[in-house]
Amino acid sequence: MKLDMVHDIQTVYRKLVDAMARPGQLADLSKEAALIEESGAMPFILLAFTLFDQEVTFKVFSKREAAIAKLINQYTYAQPAVIEEADYIFVLADAEETALKVAIEGAKHGTLKNPHDSATIFAEVDEITNASTLKLTGPGIQSEEYIHVETESKWVAERQVKNKEYPLGVDLMFIDRRQQLLALPRTTQITINRVIV
Amino acid sequence: MNTTYNFAFFDEGSKREIRRATLKAIAIPGYQVPFASREMPIGRGWGTGGLQLTLSLIGKKDVLKVIDQGSDESVNAVNIKKLVSNTTGVEVTEHTSKATLIQSRHRIPEVPLTKEQILVLQVPLPEPLRYYEPSETETKKLHAEKEYSGAWLMLFEQIMKYGGMTTGADHPVLVHDRYVMAPSPIPRFDNPKMNANEALILLGAGREKKVYAVPPYTKVVSLDFEDYPFQAETFADKHCRLCGQTNVFLDELVDELTDETVYQCNDTSNCLEKLNSVGVK
Repeated sequence: MKLDMVHDIQTVYRKLVDAMARPGQLADLSKEAALIEESGAMPFILLAFTLFDQEVTFKVFSKREAAIAKLINQYTYAQPAVIEEADYIFVLADAEETALKVAIEGAKHGTLKNPHDSATIFAEVDEITNASTLKLTGPGIQSEEYIHVETESKWVAERQVKNKEYPLGVDLMFIDRRQQLLALPRTTQITINRVIV
Repeated sequence: MNTTYNFAFFDEGSKREIRRATLKAIAIPGYQVPFASREMPIGRGWGTGGLQLTLSLIGKKDVLKVIDQGSDESVNAVNIKKLVSNTTGVEVTEHTSKATLIQSRHRIPEVPLTKEQILVLQVPLPEPLRYYEPSETETKKLHAEKEYSGAWLMLFEQIMKYGGMTTGADHPVLVHDRYVMAPSPIPRFDNPKMNANEALILLGAGREKKVYAVPPYTKVVSLDFEDYPFQAETFADKHCRLCGQTNVFLDELVDELTDETVYQCNDTSNCLEKLNSVGVK
């Protein structure tokens, strides 16, 4: 593997930090993703390398769930778990259309005493652009940001239900085919920009 | 550069642990996320929290600045800078505007921060409620319930006893209308800089094993009362004796020869930059 486990992982992490601190601004992971020798371009494995070890539990939504879970476990020692207990949840591109909804609904959202004990969900989507479908406001955003996430899944409403009692909630990260990453921490408020015809 | 150690001193496992905590901290502004806090080659309470955050963040392209009470050259800053540059080989600078990563003890630099920068603050006591509640279980419950009357009562008692709020530094703030947070012992003068800052601010407490964060453009309000509004230290009609700047945080010194009280910039690099730009008379 050509990926440098110290320096390339550090740049991935800094991009995650920037993305998390500035929701709506996309982080470009294509350089690091290109270094992964595994076939089938798996940017999610970059995230696993950056954050996973034996202290972490995860859940994968995919047609190849068993194989991918085994791969992540072998690489990082992280343990597969049921949705309700997983620290990180991957919803891959080949998962069923409802998978993201199910993941958001079932993920742990922390307790009032320990809101950090909540899941982070990574979802692979077709494309993320700055088209003005969704309006984002909240910490990290100066006034407002606009974003478009190309996916069949109806995740916005589900996320709103899940995150209604701040500080409880789940943090979302989307990554598209061009390895552009969008982070939506629980503090980000989303309004759907309805197009009036 | 010392290559006996892994890049940035830490092993990768320790980095991952603090990285996970930091991402959660950014997602929940002002909430103290517990982390493992490794043993560092400097004493606990001497900036180990900030140092661990810096080491987990730093990369080969970073330019590092470390300050201690506004000075680039005091012991704490120099030693932390040495350790980090020795184990990473990154460039260090004194110029705030050139740095990508700024670790600071007890000051936010005078030069406004930009969105390319991350400010790491060293925190001795991260729990703003500790003064009146010694139990961690209890303070966690108070934060969970957003029960902060004690924090206001603390300020109220100061007003009753001394006629005003007497927090010299570390004046508690309310972050994103949810968590009361210790801004680390920065002077009240720096509190307003935290509000809607362009840079990400990360706070690390090594001894107390907590990290927390203030994302950019986040609402940070210093606690106060309608009839006793929050007031920063004022330096009206005073200026730095070296560079002449006003509207900066000044140190009060006594000239031992003349017994006069004199004022001087606390942010030494900003003072020096000012002197260099105008030319020393």
